[in-house]
Amino acid sequence: MTALLRAENLVKHFPIRQHMFGRQTAVVHAVDGVSFELDAGETMALVGESGCGKSTVGRLVLRLLDPTAGKVWFNGEDLTGLSPRELRPKRRELQMIFQDPYSSLNPRMTVEQTLVEPLALHGLARGREHERAAELMDLVGLAPQYLQRYPHEFSGGQRQRIGIARALAVEPRLIVCDEPVSALDVSIQAQIINLLQDLQRRLGLAFVFIAHDLAVVKHISSHVAVMYLGHVVEHADKRSLFASPRHPYTQALLSAIPIPQPGAKRERMLLQGDVPNPIDPPSGCRFRTRCPYARERCAQEVPALRSSDGHSVACHFWEEIAPPAGIAVQAPGNDRLVRLQAAFRASGVPAASELENELVNG
Amino acid sequence: MTALLEVSGLRTSFRLEEGGEFNAVDGVSFSIEAGRTLGIVGESGCGKSVTSLSIMGLLPKGQGRISAGSVRFQGTDLATLSQEEMRAMRGDRMAMIFQEPMTSLNPAFTIGDQMIEGIRVHRRSSAPEAREHAIEMLRRVRIPSPERRIDEYPHKLSGGMRQRVMIAMALSCEPQLLIADEPTTALDVTIQAQVLDLMRTLREETGTAIILITHDLGVVAELADEVVVMYSGLIVERAPVARLFAHPQHPYTIGLLGSIPSMHQEQERLHAIDGQVPTPMTRVQGCRFAPRCPFVVDKCRAQAPPLIELGHDQQAACWRAPLEVTLGFAAEVFA
Repeated sequence: MTALLRAENLVKHFPIRQHMFGRQTAVVHAVDGVSFELDAGETMALVGESGCGKSTVGRLVLRLLDPTAGKVWFNGEDLTGLSPRELRPKRRELQMIFQDPYSSLNPRMTVEQTLVEPLALHGLARGREHERAAELMDLVGLAPQYLQRYPHEFSGGQRQRIGIARALAVEPRLIVCDEPVSALDVSIQAQIINLLQDLQRRLGLAFVFIAHDLAVVKHISSHVAVMYLGHVVEHADKRSLFASPRHPYTQALLSAIPIPQPGAKRERMLLQGDVPNPIDPPSGCRFRTRCPYARERCAQEVPALRSSDGHSVACHFWEEIAPPAGIAVQAPGNDRLVRLQAAFRASGVPAASELENELVNG
Repeated sequence: MTALLEVSGLRTSFRLEEGGEFNAVDGVSFSIEAGRTLGIVGESGCGKSVTSLSIMGLLPKGQGRISAGSVRFQGTDLATLSQEEMRAMRGDRMAMIFQEPMTSLNPAFTIGDQMIEGIRVHRRSSAPEAREHAIEMLRRVRIPSPERRIDEYPHKLSGGMRQRVMIAMALSCEPQLLIADEPTTALDVTIQAQVLDLMRTLREETGTAIILITHDLGVVAELADEVVVMYSGLIVERAPVARLFAHPQHPYTIGLLGSIPSMHQEQERLHAIDGQVPTPMTRVQGCRFAPRCPFVVDKCRAQAPPLIELGHDQQAACWRAPLEVTLGFAAEVFA
């Protein structure tokens, strides 16, 4: 079976010019040779810290940006070769959910207008736009009677639901979710994560999930690609990656997450310094300037992404690097807490009537 | 032993444009002893940042005011101090660091200018002495080549470096109390780990008491000795850190802990808390968490619960605490 989405050696360099029409003086190496595959109904997470290129990859996949080199195959078709005209019908199948539910909705459009616009653009649900909009509201757990309201009348979590409804309007097969929960409060994050998982199961959606929060990624994804300065440094299925991280950067990332468990004993792998400038990335392995295991070879030779048992890693010496002990802290069993938490009905799509009294200005 | 800082019955009100006032903080009491770290946790609009601004006397003029209660620092009621005296206190005996280090540093001045100004005002030292001291502080927060960095402008530094500079600045007069409002929220995970590590070391070296304000329960677990959980302008639970995470009593704390995806367990679904985070303007009658609480009974909707003593230094504002007793853990309760 061919994958729904295949990214092949994607490269994106942003030129830097002294003036608007001036000579190109330097290049930002945002993405440098990223490849992956994604099947229908699966979630691939792109993780990494700011500036690693994960959002750029998301935009390349949707062709919101044109790659400097490389190809994006969707459903067996090369998207990178299509003209804007040919691309338009494809856009229906590829949608995006943004991080900030405040700036990604037009404040002058009612929810109904927001949801109907993509339908009109793609000529869908002609004559029954209102019914379709009401259906979409229901799908994301909002009461259809709020269709005539404006974005400012909703809270952040509700706005994110509207953003999801808009993406779903055109019945896409793939959604790129760019940090969809990082702007939300913790208790609301969990609602949106549950909603995304429910929708994926019901509609068979594939997600490219861009995030920096590894706990969220561990919960939602099937595969994870860890990025550092435009390169994928490790790529594996979720279990393998979190159980035995191979790249020193992944190990450091995992050991850096504060765990809500006071007194948890674990070995901290504290990285020194900051991420280098992507205008002038280090030679060889881009992580070497912060890597505690760096040797001469790392400066000379770019490590290739090598795969064994479906777990790929781009490090010359990963076989010699033992994963630091205590990355996976075992939580003591807490039956009481588990039982109490279970009482918070794990609902992703609450009944519309329950939301009735909870609108900000409602 | 008397507390370093004692906040009692603090109520902070803000004027509404359409007239009237609302209470962003609605009767909050806590205290902190020298050398201890108190975590204040809560979601947006719960009043945690307003609490810290009230302590520091930094409420926006003409909009916000302390309308009830008191803040005592080393026994002195801060409300009785003149603006002048308060200014002398801030930066010297109590200091604050903010979430966004770029907006709290002046982009038009070098790091050195900004640090030296504060040191000279509070320490009455000469310019060369102050500069020497500033360099020493930068070294202590692990800024590489501080002699050079001190003459740079904030934009030349990365986010993590800027937060280090903020910490250096805040600690340069050896304050007894440091209020850190979401100090690592804007930083990447590996940088966050560096800054948390730094705060831990400095706390040991200086003995500064810290009020750590955050929405991140992981950060609290790493740094705090005691924790206060706020919801909708009130404290809903207070406990020593280990107790809070192992044995939370308020339903909101329980729900909040269940909302975080676990790093060491597979879960089908997260135990999300239904409903919305209340805005400061929406105040319900009775317990403010009642509309989202799975354990709610009639009494909760009628009457606001006070903080109830539960033993083990733990208090919760819940009529049904201790939950495992009231629920009896009968199977049908969870059906």
